Amino acid sequence: MLSGLSLKIHEGEIVFILGTSGTGKSVLLKNLVGLLTPDEGEIWIDGVEVARFSEEEYLPIRKKCGMVFQHPALFDSLTIYENVAFGLRRHYQLDEDSIREKVDKALRLVHLHGIESKRPAQISYGMQKRVSLARTVALEPRILLFDEPTTGLDPVTTTAVNQLIQDLSRELKTTSIVVSHDMNCALTIADRIVVLDKGQIVEQGSPAELKRSTHPLVKDFLAEVLEA
Amino acid sequence: MNAVASVVQEIGGTLLFLQSILRTMFYKRIKIHEVFEQIWKVTVDSFLNTSMAGFFVGAIMTVQFTMQMKEFGALGYLGGLATSGTFREVGPLLIAFMLSGKVGAFTSAELGTMRVTEQIDAVRCLGADPLQEIIVPRFIGIIISSFFLLGAGLIMSVFGGMLMGQVFAGVNYEEYLRHVPTIVSPISIINGLVKCGVFAFVLATICTYKGYTTTGGAKGVGRSVVATAVATMICIVVMDWLTSFIGESMLQMIQGYR
Repeated sequence: MLSGLSLKIHEGEIVFILGTSGTGKSVLLKNLVGLLTPDEGEIWIDGVEVARFSEEEYLPIRKKCGMVFQHPALFDSLTIYENVAFGLRRHYQLDEDSIREKVDKALRLVHLHGIESKRPAQISYGMQKRVSLARTVALEPRILLFDEPTTGLDPVTTTAVNQLIQDLSRELKTTSIVVSHDMNCALTIADRIVVLDKGQIVEQGSPAELKRSTHPLVKDFLAEVLEA
Repeated sequence: MNAVASVVQEIGGTLLFLQSILRTMFYKRIKIHEVFEQIWKVTVDSFLNTSMAGFFVGAIMTVQFTMQMKEFGALGYLGGLATSGTFREVGPLLIAFMLSGKVGAFTSAELGTMRVTEQIDAVRCLGADPLQEIIVPRFIGIIISSFFLLGAGLIMSVFGGMLMGQVFAGVNYEEYLRHVPTIVSPISIINGLVKCGVFAFVLATICTYKGYTTTGGAKGVGRSVVATAVATMICIVVMDWLTSFIGESMLQMIQGYR
């Protein structure tokens, strides 16, 4: 799916990866956290080549690379509190008070509190997405990967989530890699935009540079923003 | 040719998955409370259905045996023969079918949904092993609860048989039960338990594998559930033949030594 792709992301950057459906954007993210293994090629994270790591070896990588999935991916049988605490219990040896404190902090970051005892089915889809974000942020990862974080959300929640990505990157000094179709949002908050087509990078640069691009796919994306 | 290749691929995939489950069971800490939760869930959810099925199996077996026993004037042996047949063969088979339709389909759909909604990927990203957290408790839960359900089903089958014996053949309860201890030997019970364990093992392997490897959204979940139902039914019947064959051979061998 991805072929000849070479991409370097700097610490603290907000990088948006855009492209039409089926170009391998999500595959790229899943390769980074070891959910998929590339047939060939290399993946370097903090100076370590991780592409052929075993599941055990990937654990510390996943601790520093938090992923927010396209679906909220919350565990139906657990409460919101238990969902957010899930990763904390596995990655760290913390007492219950510290876990409670971190869960509370993460939920406040996504502007949700007072829903800890509810189950995922009892809250809206938009709230589920924010809880999913809180679950990832609670681990305080240095790198945040977002797979279409605003898909299926209403415009108000979309703006709130985009603002949240920007705030988290600035406040927690995280590196953010966002897979999205939302060029408008990319132009607003990205430091760099990478456009993928058929598994390869066809254009990349700052929002200002992208606006000057002559590539037909980039022009299509920009045309949509102008129409909107 | 493609169909044969895909069947071989599925069998290989299932065996490799089973190997991973067993490795996780033996080398990693089992979440005991999760296992108990699964045992409780499966047993409670299927108790009524299995008991009802057991009751009617006992009744059917008694009706069938009544026809033959009447011809030979041996109605006194009705209870013993009907109960032995149920314990050895029909009981475990029917309970396995019931579990396949209810627990197998449910587990496959549940895991399939977790897969397509990326919950299983999320478990991995949050530092946990999905086999240890999700699969192994279900796998063990299905196997252990199948024995409880078999017990409940078999007890109910005796009641069903007693009722039909009274209504259909005019054999009272005492008469019906008189030859049960002599005809239902320990070997019959062991035979039933072994079959039950084997069927549950096959069912637990197939439904967890099919659910865990689901792809393709809601349609994919539907496909997994159907595939689970078909594969478990076929495998249970094949394993029934195989366990009967091996059991009979071993029995003959033991008798030969005596």
